[in-house]
Amino acid sequence: MSFSRYAPEDSVISSETVVRGLWSSDSNVLYPASTYTSSYTEYYLDVYNGNSTSAGSSVQFSIQYGNISGSGSANINASAVGKTPSRIVYGEYRNLVYGTEAVDFSFNSDVTSSKDIFVINVARSRYKESLLPGSFNLTLLTGSAGVSSSLKLIDDSLTTNLTRYIGENKVYYLIQSGSVNTTKYYGMLFPDLNIAVLNATAGSSGSISPFIAPLATTYATGNNHLKLFTSIVSGSGGSYPTSGSVNGFYLQSSETVSSRYFFTRVKNSEFNYTTNPSIIDDNGNLLYTSLINNPQTYVTTVGMYNDNNELLAVSKLSRPLTKDFTKEALIRIKLDY
Amino acid sequence: MAILNPTTVTVDAILTTKGRELLARNDGSFQITQFALADDEIDYTLYNPLHPSGSAFYGEAIENTPVLEAFPNESQIMRYKLVTLPRGTSKLPVINIGYNSISLRQGASLTITPQTLNYLGSTSTFEANGYIATIADSRLVSTFSGTGITVTSPGITGLNTTTGTVLSLSQVGTSFTLTGTTINTLFGSSLSTLTTTITVIGRDSGARVTIPLSIQKVANY
Repeated sequence: MSFSRYAPEDSVISSETVVRGLWSSDSNVLYPASTYTSSYTEYYLDVYNGNSTSAGSSVQFSIQYGNISGSGSANINASAVGKTPSRIVYGEYRNLVYGTEAVDFSFNSDVTSSKDIFVINVARSRYKESLLPGSFNLTLLTGSAGVSSSLKLIDDSLTTNLTRYIGENKVYYLIQSGSVNTTKYYGMLFPDLNIAVLNATAGSSGSISPFIAPLATTYATGNNHLKLFTSIVSGSGGSYPTSGSVNGFYLQSSETVSSRYFFTRVKNSEFNYTTNPSIIDDNGNLLYTSLINNPQTYVTTVGMYNDNNELLAVSKLSRPLTKDFTKEALIRIKLDY
Repeated sequence: MAILNPTTVTVDAILTTKGRELLARNDGSFQITQFALADDEIDYTLYNPLHPSGSAFYGEAIENTPVLEAFPNESQIMRYKLVTLPRGTSKLPVINIGYNSISLRQGASLTITPQTLNYLGSTSTFEANGYIATIADSRLVSTFSGTGITVTSPGITGLNTTTGTVLSLSQVGTSFTLTGTTINTLFGSSLSTLTTTITVIGRDSGARVTIPLSIQKVANY
């Protein structure tokens, strides 16, 4: 008599959307990877929440630069001219987004294609399931003369009722300035691909090039991904920053968690005795006569079984719950999958 | 007017090793259909019917027992289940297997038939769904079997594990036969006796008993 069955209505399934800040421990300082390691190549620059060589720091996102002609980075093999990291990055994301090499990135109607792109690729461990539309908030800083000192970018999911698609299933939102200029777009946010693609083509509408001028010298190393990082954290440009405030870059993750709730109903007449050996002597007699007519037990654990009496899940109470013939309990158990 | 204190307790559950295994099968075998309650941490000798402040304080020390986090190993938790018995019960079910300890020579066999005392109004009875018997270190027996009950799984996967090998062995039945190991190397060069435990749990009553089991070395093996 130690088991009690759940009724069909005692179990319900619920799906909840959990939204979290994207950066580890809500860190407000970002660190780039140490110069020229496996986390900092011509293909990408990893950005950490702590010094990249310290234990406990982890990659938050990566920055990449792509150029349709391969400019801004050196040939990976001198005998194969044009096959550079920036060309590879451009082709990789073009294939991912459009699924064809016949289409180039395009963000505004006044240009047929964008030859230069920056990509912010969020680490898998940070985005969980997807990026939360409406949470993209990126401020670029510049020290260049003759341009505004900063550019604030947001995605337009909050200002449009449209759900845009590329192909059949790639949902995207356009990235625009914080002043909501609907005629100029600076990039695209793909919540399910967990990337943001920014337009870096100089002279085109919506380009971020006035703030970050990518070095597009033919087949020469430009370290353009580092330029974007510098613009995010300081705007000073030029020198390699060791860290910088993340105050200008906010993003949130979104995850759907399916939970099953079990309502464990303990009736007053049930579970008032225990098989705990500390309550009986060697012959099974209760140690205290006061417990014969008014038995008391103290629930600490709820075990959940199948029909074979196999223990499948277990939950613990925060403190012992007193149970006797005058008390009933309703314990709501949450089981996450 | 006052605000009622909601009494619903909400807790998070974790899957046990067995639960994860059945969930991973994805064949519908992960079906939670019943529950049991336990008080593994509670030391009832702390119950104090002589407390000077009165009956409301008899369980004061117990109520302040810090509860441990859940263990995923299903053999290490839900050891002392709460049971439903008629009010006025003065003797609780206990398992009697006829021995306070078992000592076997190598190769010798013994059959034990557990009974439950003080259960369902009888001074001694056999539980309808039988018993689970677990030998903590199965290396000490060459055979261990249970008869009388047909089940698909005993529901216990092991009390001790080392490098991924389950050392314990569980069987379900109304009687159990065990034979001492015939492997001499387990004794090493100096030991003449190997010891472990055998635990018997009533599948209906939840009562349990654990007794020592020792195997005596025989020169001929």
